[in-house]
Order: sequence, then C-alpha cells, then structure tokens
Amino acid sequence: MSNKDLLGRRNFIKGFGAAAGVAMAAPALAVSEKADGVKWDKEVEVLIIGSGFAGLAAAIEATRKGAKDVHIFEKMSYFGGNSAINGGLFAAPGTPMQKQEGVKDSVEIMVADQLASGRGIADEALLRHVAEHAVEALQMTLDAGSEYHPYLQQLGGHSVARTYQTTVSCGAGITQPLLHECRKLGVHTHNRSKFEGFLVGDKGEVLGVKMRDNYHFGEDQPGKVSNIRAKRGVIMATGGFAQNVDLRMAQDPTLTAEVGCTNAPGATGEGMYEMFRLGAVPVHLAHIQSGPWASPDEGGFGYVSNYSIYNFPHSVAIDRLTGKRFMNEIADRKTRADAELNCRDAKGNALPPILITSYEDSKKHPNTKKVLKYNVGWKFDSIEELAKHFDVPLAPLKQQIAEYNDYVKTQNDPQFGKNMTEAKGKYIKAPFTVVRLWPKVHYCQGGVQINTKAEVKDSFTGQAIPGLYAAGEVCGGIHGVSRLGSCSIPECMVMGMTAARSMMKA
Amino acid sequence: MSKLTTVLALTFGCLLTLSAQAVEIRDHHKEVIGKDCKTCHDNGIKQFPSDQACLQCHDVDDLAEQTARSEEDKWQNPHNNLHYGKELPCQECHSEHGTKKPLCSNCHTFKYDKHKE
Repeated sequence: MSNKDLLGRRNFIKGFGAAAGVAMAAPALAVSEKADGVKWDKEVEVLIIGSGFAGLAAAIEATRKGAKDVHIFEKMSYFGGNSAINGGLFAAPGTPMQKQEGVKDSVEIMVADQLASGRGIADEALLRHVAEHAVEALQMTLDAGSEYHPYLQQLGGHSVARTYQTTVSCGAGITQPLLHECRKLGVHTHNRSKFEGFLVGDKGEVLGVKMRDNYHFGEDQPGKVSNIRAKRGVIMATGGFAQNVDLRMAQDPTLTAEVGCTNAPGATGEGMYEMFRLGAVPVHLAHIQSGPWASPDEGGFGYVSNYSIYNFPHSVAIDRLTGKRFMNEIADRKTRADAELNCRDAKGNALPPILITSYEDSKKHPNTKKVLKYNVGWKFDSIEELAKHFDVPLAPLKQQIAEYNDYVKTQNDPQFGKNMTEAKGKYIKAPFTVVRLWPKVHYCQGGVQINTKAEVKDSFTGQAIPGLYAAGEVCGGIHGVSRLGSCSIPECMVMGMTAARSMMKA
Repeated sequence: MSKLTTVLALTFGCLLTLSAQAVEIRDHHKEVIGKDCKTCHDNGIKQFPSDQACLQCHDVDDLAEQTARSEEDKWQNPHNNLHYGKELPCQECHSEHGTKKPLCSNCHTFKYDKHKE
C-alpha cells in the first residue's frame, strides 16, 4: 500500500463511517492511523484478533514454529467466536476413517465438489490449498484432544462421505480443546478486548493495533484504548458479519432482522471493514448463505440443525401444501434454502416444510433425543397421525413415501436426482420423527481477498499488505456462491495455520 | 492520607450511598454487601464490575456442582457448559440490578427454573 493514499482515503472513509455509525449499533468508530509518533503501550510478537477456529489454530501453529509471545484478543467476554456454537462438522479427503469405511476420495474430488457449489466463482487455488492441508488440521484437533463420532457423514453437495463430527456435535468440541492447548503452550488469551483499528507504518505496513480493554459487547462501556505493537504482524481471524443486520441488508435487502440467524452475537464484521479501510479488496460480499437445516421452532443453530444434517440423506423433505417432496435433500445449501423459501400456503405466507425420518435411523444421532425432549421435533407412530398434526394431505403424502421407498430400493431418484448411496436400506417407515425446516442466515462467503499464504492483497498496489494476514470467514471468494457444509472448519484451521507459517517465515 | 484524598473519598462515598438507594439488589446480597457499591463495582461506579467481582464470594466449581444436570443433559449446566466450560462470565446471564435471559436462550428452549429472568 502506498502511504500517499492513506490519509486522503482515511478522511474520505471517516465521513462515510460517521454516517454509517448512526445506523450501526457499534458504539465507537474504529479508524486506522499512522503509527508515526504513536506511543506504544505494549509490544507482542504475534498478535491474533479473534478466538474461533482460525485464531486458535494460528496461535498453536505460531508457537510450534517458534513464536514465544503469542497473544489472542477476543472482543466478547467468552472465547471461541462463532466456532464455539457451530456444528462441529469437519470435511477432509483421504482420512483414516475414509480408509476404514472404504470411501474413495481425494483432494481433487473434494475441490471439484466445492467448485460445483461455488457456481463458477470459487477460488480453486485456495480450495486446493485447504483440501491439501485439511488432514493436518484434523490432526491438530485430535492432538489437542478433540473426539469425533465413530462414523462419517455425507453432507449436501459432497459426492462422498468425508465429514467428521465431534462427539458433542458442536464446534465447541474443537474450540475448547484448542483453547486449552493454547494456554498449555503459553499463548496469552485476552477477552473483552475490542480491536479499534490498525497502526500503520510509513510504507503502509501494519505495525500494530489499537485495542480497547474491558469491552462489554452491546453496552456503552468506556474501556481504555492502548497501542499494541506487533513485532511479526497481525492475523485477522475475526469471522463473518451475519449478525450485523445493517451490513447484511446492504448486500441483500431480503435479509432483514426478521430472518433468523445461526451465528453468535459477535459476528458483526468490524474487523473486515477495518481491513477494507486499509485497502483490502472486498470479494463476494453479497453471497450470504442461509442454512437449509435450521428450524423455526428454536433460535440460532439450536439442536435441530445437526439433527437435520445427519438425517437428510435418509429422509424426505415434504411441502405441507402438496404432500410432495420439493427438493433433493442433499443438494447444496443454496439449492435447498431457495427451495424451502418457496414453500408457501395459498396466501403466500411461509409454510415451513417438514423433514420425515424413520425413528430407527434418526435415533442413531444423539440430537434426536434432544429435539424430542425440547419440543422442537416430534415422534409419530403412524403416517395418519403425522399428516393430521401438520395438516398435510394424506393421500399424496402416502404415495410420495411409497415412491421414495422405491428409489431407496433401486438406488435411483428420478424425481430430484438425489444421491441414494447413504440411503441404502433406509426406508421411510413408522415410527417417524419430524422437524420443521426454515432457512437461517448462516455464513458469509464474502470478505477480504487473500492468497494461499493468507496474505491480504491491497487494492491499490496489488501487493500483499505487509504485516497483515487474514484467515477464516473474514476472508472472501474462496467458496464462491455457496459454501459446502463442513468445509468451513478445515478452511479456518488450515488458513490460520498458514497465516502463522507465513508470518514466522516473513 | 492527604486532605484532598479524604475529601474525594468522602464525596465518592456519598455518591455511592445515593446511587445505592436508586438501585435494587438481591435480598441475599443485602446482608453481605449492604450499600457498599464498590464491593462489586471494582472498576469504578460507572463501569460494570469486573468478571472477577462475583468470584470474591462465589466459587465456580461449587456453582457448577449446584447446577449440575443428569448425565444426558450434563452440558446444559450453565456453570460448566458445552460451549464455554466454566469460563462464561457471570454477567452474561446474571444482572444484579435487573433481569436477564440466560445466554443459552439465544438458541435453546431448555429452561432454568430458578433463574430470575
């Protein structure tokens, strides 16, 4: 980045920021400044912002590569970011469990699946880089003590079963062990620490950051701001912006506050916007993904999401108006979310479709117990009872299930082209478990442009901004239009590790 | 102690008493804390208490034991939960001068009957 642009651009953006600040809930306006003449309050070796998968993996990897003084700053009061409440699903090609289950897979096949879902605008080089290192990242979680279900899952858009899931069916099964590992390695972790902007050197290099302490999210709390020098650089692992309604509506006006969201409250995107102010290239911001497995009967990700993800391969999704299927239950997320949003009653009001599964199959996942216990899913002994409960026309529903069971038998779905491999022998029969489905805002495909070294490209010079690295959902363009499920954890972790390696080599 | 400090301390003390009258505190805290706001407001009276403030008297291990659930639901224990273990700061779910929903209710429908919302 050339320094002659910095002030002019900053002043321009300042005006824009002030105007935007009125509409935004963010209490303070963060702005980057020239570090010239700044009094440094503290100096650290490696400075990481954000404590999700990417930040934690970066900290561990930096330490392994010899860093002695690694600091993670987290704006929330608790560590783990959105990762701590995600689904804990981890896709990797060529894993030990695939060998055990006899699944043929490769980096090439995984990249091809993701490119298809990316609809022509995904970043092949980055996808390949992540797929090539995914097993290493999986190993890092195992070394830290993560435990996984003893079976693989085949998620929507994946051509084979390649997804591990933590035994607690949640990303916390990874963030908690990684956080403990960080502390064991001597990584310093700071919560309630709000990033307030970069401090930039004469050549446009990131020298450090302004950091507010004692930060209480969503409250007007005047914590002290200090200037922290980062000797080796700054890794931005600040996540997406799905919880920032103004920002997401700026990209997609349909994503109003009424649309549910699976993310942790802190996913508001200030770190990303600060990088844009510095000169980073915005990529694919309008591609904001909704999760087709979410339930309107609970908040956020809840219990149903993982229940549905597990059960989609051997279930039927039914439009309650017609009693018929309306999608391939394991198509990619965008295909399914769009199809669900079309499920409307005669007046055009939302009519959440239902997912019907044989209890015999659904009960194998621990979440089934939970969805039944907490009334976000229901069990029925007969199809008549089920149809009555959800007001679904009985005759077409019965016919649909009979037809689908034929597809299970013939391993061919002429209706929607579903890959029936994982449905083999799993007929839809009583007793049934049922959940309602309605998409929730889940993931931002857009963010800052990075390369396979996790460097952030400057929009004016086309070169990497020295001293700055980014990893995880804050980055954009990797997945294109629609990210495949279970591909975010490997991306976050691999790019976090990559950022640490690049920084330690620089 | 200098005169100035004494005056400041006195003034500050009065302010504390005044504001203590303006806010409600839990009955079980009245006996131990009384009107000394500083007992909890260790970062200054206008700031939220630090995350260590409650821990002067409360022990997270004891709390975790008190709110333990059955093996099946063990991770719903608010003081030792699935997402944050024993590290979730008290103020995320508890408010001394008001009511607050537990953080879990963002995504889950399970209940904490004794929690004051």
